Amino acid sequence: MLLRLFLLRLLRRWHARVGFAAMLFFLILAVTGLMLNHGEGLGLDGRSVHAEWLARWYGIKSEPPRQVFRSGHHGLIAANGRWLLDGKISGEKLPQPVGLAEFADIFVVASDAALYVYRENGELIEKLGPGALPGSPVRAIGSSARGIVLRTASGIFASADALSWRPARQRSVHWSAPAALSTSERQAYEEALTPGVSVQQLLLDLHSGRFAGRYGPLVVDLLALLLAILSLTGAWLFLVPRMHRGRH
Amino acid sequence: MSWRPSCSLALLTLALGAAAAGLAHGDVYQEPDAFVAEVFGSKPAPKVLWLTRDIQAQAAAILGHPPAQLRQRYWSDSHKSAWILEEIGKEELITAGFVVVDGRIVHVRVLVYRESRGQEVRYPSFLKQFREAKLARDNTLDRRIDGIAGATLSVGAMERMARLALFFDWMSHR
Repeated sequence: MLLRLFLLRLLRRWHARVGFAAMLFFLILAVTGLMLNHGEGLGLDGRSVHAEWLARWYGIKSEPPRQVFRSGHHGLIAANGRWLLDGKISGEKLPQPVGLAEFADIFVVASDAALYVYRENGELIEKLGPGALPGSPVRAIGSSARGIVLRTASGIFASADALSWRPARQRSVHWSAPAALSTSERQAYEEALTPGVSVQQLLLDLHSGRFAGRYGPLVVDLLALLLAILSLTGAWLFLVPRMHRGRH
Repeated sequence: MSWRPSCSLALLTLALGAAAAGLAHGDVYQEPDAFVAEVFGSKPAPKVLWLTRDIQAQAAAILGHPPAQLRQRYWSDSHKSAWILEEIGKEELITAGFVVVDGRIVHVRVLVYRESRGQEVRYPSFLKQFREAKLARDNTLDRRIDGIAGATLSVGAMERMARLALFFDWMSHR
């Protein structure tokens, strides 16, 4: 009788202590688990977290921006798969641009395999993949009196609307060329162009413990063990007094 | 270095590097050009559907997010129209081609698949579910598309693109 009481008190005390000590970790596991299960509904798919310390923690090499493409009214700075277009971030996982040109009320950013056609206000009108280009890869982009001009492996082509292309001549084309950024400009833009870590990946690493490095998963294993022990001790604390009362 | 999340680190760095270098093209099952040429016998000049505010709003309701661009290229003759659309499955874009005749899908093909899992959506056994599908009320399909275990998000993306192709086809005839 005394031994059972002693055991019950000991268990209750340690059940509470272990539960309290592991509370923060269990909360992290529960919240990250819930978010992972409902990532789509929460709109987490495709989202990234951009922070220098996080990129460093993950060992992702951050390239500082080095050059800027400028046309009459627009400017583009690119680094780490991100574009700063007219001072605004424009999407993720974007290719390295080869130039920027504008004509009438549109402006176009070219990479070697795609064109991004924008309205004057920066809204994306259309992305043209290799199938929609008159030639590929794109080696340079420029503008002339007749429209946007592309220099590709298949020749030089011009278009006024980036829809239909016709062969063109190289004369009187103003080709887009990068200009070097000053040191102060690089520093100013570097933070905005920090590489990102996918939110899903971050949650997964927090949930599995990998975020903390090599020993993180072992800590999570230990927590799983603690959770199992808490379940058993909880069941014991719940059932034993009732069984005892039932006998009397 | 050894104490950092080595596995995910390597994957992330690789993925980011590949994407930044423009190398993340995925599995190309058919070039979009070849799809259009196969449908029409040759490649006709593209036409353009401008997404007005109203069309954008309805497209956003179908996709669950605003459409990525303001004009949609398509190809058509007097009989059919072909649409090449892109939608994110989980994290990467899936490119698929749809052929629409009289408001019904007559042909679907996954052209480029960039996700790491869920490639099963390209199999004819899955795609045949879209044949003869048309729009019902609220721009939903007139039938239920059976999912594939492990490819839920890609199946969802395919269904959204099918609805969008039918909706765009309808809009192009207005």
